[in-house]
Amino acid sequence: MRRALVIAALAALALPGAAFAHASLRNESPSYKQELARSPGQVLLQFDQSVVALPKAIQVFTPDGKNLAGTPRAIPAQREIVASLPKLPKGPYTVRWQALSNDGHIVTGVYTFGVGVPAPPVTEAVGAQGPTRTEDIVRWLYFLSLALIVGGLGFQLLVVRGPLPPRAQRRFFWVTGIGAVGFLQVGIVSFLLRGEDMLQVPFGRFLYGDLSPLANGTRFGQTFIAMTLGFALVTAFLYLSWLTDVRALLWVAFVLGLVFASGFSLSGHSAADAGHSWLSELADWVHLTAAMLWVGGLVQLLVVVWPGAPELRRTAFLRFSRLATVLVACLLVAGTYLSILRFPNVHDLWTTGYGHVLLIKLSLVALALLWGAAHHFLAAPRLAAGAAETVVGRLSRSMLGESAVAMAVLLAAAILVDSKPPPQPAPRAPVAAHLGRR
Amino acid sequence: MIAGIMPQAEMVHWWFASGFLMLGLLLFAEALVGPEVWRRRPWRAYLWPGLAFSMGVLMWPVMAFYTNSAIHMVAHGSWAEVLMLAGAAELGVARGKLHSQYWRLTSSLALVVSGTAFIVHEQNHWLFSRAAFLHHALGWTALVCAVFPLVLAFRPRSIAAASGFAMFFVTLAVLLYCDRDVAPIFGHLSQFAGPMHR
Repeated sequence: MRRALVIAALAALALPGAAFAHASLRNESPSYKQELARSPGQVLLQFDQSVVALPKAIQVFTPDGKNLAGTPRAIPAQREIVASLPKLPKGPYTVRWQALSNDGHIVTGVYTFGVGVPAPPVTEAVGAQGPTRTEDIVRWLYFLSLALIVGGLGFQLLVVRGPLPPRAQRRFFWVTGIGAVGFLQVGIVSFLLRGEDMLQVPFGRFLYGDLSPLANGTRFGQTFIAMTLGFALVTAFLYLSWLTDVRALLWVAFVLGLVFASGFSLSGHSAADAGHSWLSELADWVHLTAAMLWVGGLVQLLVVVWPGAPELRRTAFLRFSRLATVLVACLLVAGTYLSILRFPNVHDLWTTGYGHVLLIKLSLVALALLWGAAHHFLAAPRLAAGAAETVVGRLSRSMLGESAVAMAVLLAAAILVDSKPPPQPAPRAPVAAHLGRR
Repeated sequence: MIAGIMPQAEMVHWWFASGFLMLGLLLFAEALVGPEVWRRRPWRAYLWPGLAFSMGVLMWPVMAFYTNSAIHMVAHGSWAEVLMLAGAAELGVARGKLHSQYWRLTSSLALVVSGTAFIVHEQNHWLFSRAAFLHHALGWTALVCAVFPLVLAFRPRSIAAASGFAMFFVTLAVLLYCDRDVAPIFGHLSQFAGPMHR
């Protein structure tokens, strides 16, 4: 009996069977993100193998969700599916397609094109729901991982400025290593969640759905690729520094981390929304990196220095306190500029969902700043004057509280990134144009 | 722009095949002469783990640029990670940073994860096309050969296990050199596989 079960299990694995065969889309017309001058007469999809046209093989949606595609039909000789279109008025359109491979597997995809207007990014295809709470949590974990690695490296290089005792050094590499590996994993999950929202199909079909429009055709996808490659290198340099005890490699990892963290700024509101400029992208990057260095530094103080290097507590705390002052200044200046940019009207703060989340974030930031100020103005002078070890020990609990608030700030930031800011007012027509019309 | 300069998938398979062939030959040389002779030059101890780690890093661009579905992304990502992990663990042991021989179990884990990823991400049956056959063959070879590094973790001087581990990489290289997406295998090609290309 047992042998029969083993043989059956092996056979099931060895012969996944025809039901798993699938086709891939080779060409499409209109193509992805194409801006057409005139309405196309049909949508044509060409696959790499024979396919069967399902009843909803091709759907072409207007922005209000109306399907305009005619009945799709397959042309087996050309491995194509075609659906006719009426004359499309000017506007953006979403194509959702699915095909049954001849041997049973359904493949799915979505893309956008425009008639007389630019095609929207595929993340804004008709049917996509936008970021969910799960995506908020994943984005938060993304930020936390970034804080662990970039903040950890910054702390080691700018605050400690020398080798740690062996026990603390081991802890440092564990914490930053978890951040590096976590960043890569969370990045993949984040990309897949966005892809799932874009495709809007059940999980089994999502696994084989076409994600290339998301990877290649959106800022989100392109920066995901760049950040994944960049942080794979950061991970490698971090590891090599551990292996060879060469400290210079930490600098390489730190600089690469700072550079590739800009992926968030180059794909977020500061790079894509109305009013964006190189200055808004730079401000976003300064805001982000200052926050990461601050949160990551707190974690290093708490998890690495306090338990692993008691002899360095005073020095590290005082140096970090000085660095934090600079970081807070950067955070505030960049954050204020970005808030002004995103809130054309002050009342948007209390009348829009984005404003509500920003108010919560500002409250948490204020709490964290007060906490930090207490450390800076009350605890630091006592430490500098040689306070008793009991005071030093009590500080760890206080830093735990500050770290918890800082992480809550990152959660609010993650929700803000996934939310839509209030709309910008329409630009006024030039005076000359008004006069001309009159 | 990137799509224009990306090499064909076939070329990427061949590059990695060359890397795995080198890996297999290094391991084979060590198995033939024994670890004592092999490590008379200390740098030789880092050769194959360093190569495995580097190939893991180089697998990330493959994951990023050749991803057309979630299952492919997960499969390529898992190969990158386990190659880096196995190489990193072996480098750590060679350098004396890691002291337990059981870190060598990461090589076994890498083969199990890689083999499973090969089998799961290939949706077609064995004789659908040459690429499908090779994916199944690669997956099962990796799963079966995971026993060699497992044995090596407990019996580091086993010549049979060391040779088997080396031969796995040579076999892997041969299979990757044969790769061609849509082409017959043993005279079979599914009528649904599409036109032969590459």
